[in-house]
Amino acid sequence: MAIRQNFPGTNEMTFFDVITRGLKRRPIRTGLTLLGIAVGIAAVVALIGLSRGLVASWTAGMKSRGTEIVVHNMRGSLTPKPFPAATRDRVAHLPGVTATCMILVDLMSVENAELMIVSGREWGCFAWENLKLVSGRMPKDQMERAVLLGTTAADVLKKKVGDTVQIETEELAVVGIVEGAAFVENGSIILSLPLLQQVTGNQDKISAIDVRVAAGTNDAEIRRLCEEMSRLIPEAHADPAGEHLAHTEGYRVINAMSWGTSLLAILVGVLGVTNTMLMSVFERRQEIAILLALGWKRSRIVRMILWESAMLGLLGGIIGVGLGVVGVHLMQTAPAIRGLLEPDLSFNLILMAVTIAVCVGVLSGFYPAWRSSRLTPSLALHG
Amino acid sequence: MNTPSESTQNARSPFVFEAAGLKKDYDDGQVHALRGVDFQIREGEFVAIVGPSGSGKTTLLQMLGALDQPTAGTLKYRGKSLLDLPDPAAYRAHEIGFIFQAFHLLPTFTAIENVQIPMFENHQSRAARRTRALELLKAVGLEQRVNHFPAKLSGGERQRVAIARSLANSPSVLLADEPTGNLDSQSAKHILDLITSLHFDRRMTLILVTHDMSVASRASRAIQTKDGQVVFDGDPAKLPRYE
Repeated sequence: MAIRQNFPGTNEMTFFDVITRGLKRRPIRTGLTLLGIAVGIAAVVALIGLSRGLVASWTAGMKSRGTEIVVHNMRGSLTPKPFPAATRDRVAHLPGVTATCMILVDLMSVENAELMIVSGREWGCFAWENLKLVSGRMPKDQMERAVLLGTTAADVLKKKVGDTVQIETEELAVVGIVEGAAFVENGSIILSLPLLQQVTGNQDKISAIDVRVAAGTNDAEIRRLCEEMSRLIPEAHADPAGEHLAHTEGYRVINAMSWGTSLLAILVGVLGVTNTMLMSVFERRQEIAILLALGWKRSRIVRMILWESAMLGLLGGIIGVGLGVVGVHLMQTAPAIRGLLEPDLSFNLILMAVTIAVCVGVLSGFYPAWRSSRLTPSLALHG
Repeated sequence: MNTPSESTQNARSPFVFEAAGLKKDYDDGQVHALRGVDFQIREGEFVAIVGPSGSGKTTLLQMLGALDQPTAGTLKYRGKSLLDLPDPAAYRAHEIGFIFQAFHLLPTFTAIENVQIPMFENHQSRAARRTRALELLKAVGLEQRVNHFPAKLSGGERQRVAIARSLANSPSVLLADEPTGNLDSQSAKHILDLITSLHFDRRMTLILVTHDMSVASRASRAIQTKDGQVVFDGDPAKLPRYE
């Protein structure tokens, strides 16, 4: 205690201090390596967050309408392919089905917006029920040449009630601004099904049937119903509402591209950390030999290198998550996708991203750690 | 230099090291660093290993510290073969203290942190490591420099930190490789005084490699090597001069 009082400024030292000193040794190199990992993790957060957000947002839209099953024809293509409206008659009578709603959805360029969801809904069906009027009114009937704009869509198109909006060659009146329960609905132009069929030349065609089932129907029964519907309508496919988008070829392509891009970025991060740690081991050959000469076990040296690279991964991951979140919000404001995508920046995604980063760090540290463990302690007596 | 009573006491002490026919080759047998070396070192002895550059003295120190393995021959520590050590790191951590010519302090750690480095293998608490390091720095007269980084210390001070570090785990043997080789004469004298007093006070076996005859004269015994062989083993006062 007396000694402690004599030297009040001295600190106790932990193995963690040894690790952090190793990283602080070359701050610029450490910083650049962190940036390399951070970019990879930012790509994971942004791209995977957006692709998951796509599913989450559509699913939320479905759920808000009380849709349990979606009949669609998207599996083999990137965009929904219209199929005959008469298909609905083959599923509507099935036991357990309580209501159906035919929908024609398209992604199209509308005025200054490069991509906009245009949703034509069967007049009077349940898909209209969850729309809350913010201003204006609902269309008077299915043939009124009028549209509703979701709040985000109105913002993107800079339209208000009383303006007109041009879809394909038709000029339609904006009669109301609505708020849906999901991000995709707020970014949509909503009109009656016959009107959109007429405007797009898809008479008697639809791209989805939203299906409600009897209250209390469990997941297994819903899946059985989907299988039965799919058997009855070979030109389309039925999926539970939460899964229909994730099963589509389009989503799989988007997801694969997102992961592909992310993995490439991560690979760059792995190479960066490996290079940094190898350089570090090479520079510290004599220092490591001294530690061995002082009695450190090789396993402790290996742990030191692995912890250093894991720390690089962890810090890079945390910075990457920050960059990814900022990047996603910047991407959301891009005119091409504004109002279309809501990222899924869930805790799970962030945890996954940071876990990937730490794994990248540890993985990248294996070879340098192995190299360090091969060093001979007799190097300590040279130079 | 040992007093007569100390020499007699050493003569009765058990052997710490016993080397027989010790050989070390490098470069696939092209270079013969040691060519069959025999000696015994007793507990508490102060042995100077002297010889010109390339005579094999540093190689010998490496063998004693289990930093390297001989090509042939036997080397025992307290009766047990050093070649069959189950855990050479534990031997270096607990039995041996190293003092290097170039100090070899870790530049990103302060003096007190450098002294704590060997203690990580000792499973001591952080507080115990810190307290022990402070005691050792005080023992080498650096109580006012504990938080200085090596770059802010003089050569003599750095070697003092290195000496404190070598004592961290209370080893029974100190191996010093040219400990005054990088110091001016004044600092060299102080360091030599310190090492010698530690050897006496703590009854440690001290094996010091040097090419400086005046340093060797402090020892109780000198082993001179030439071309990888022992050419003299005895009283440092009778040590023959070499080129």
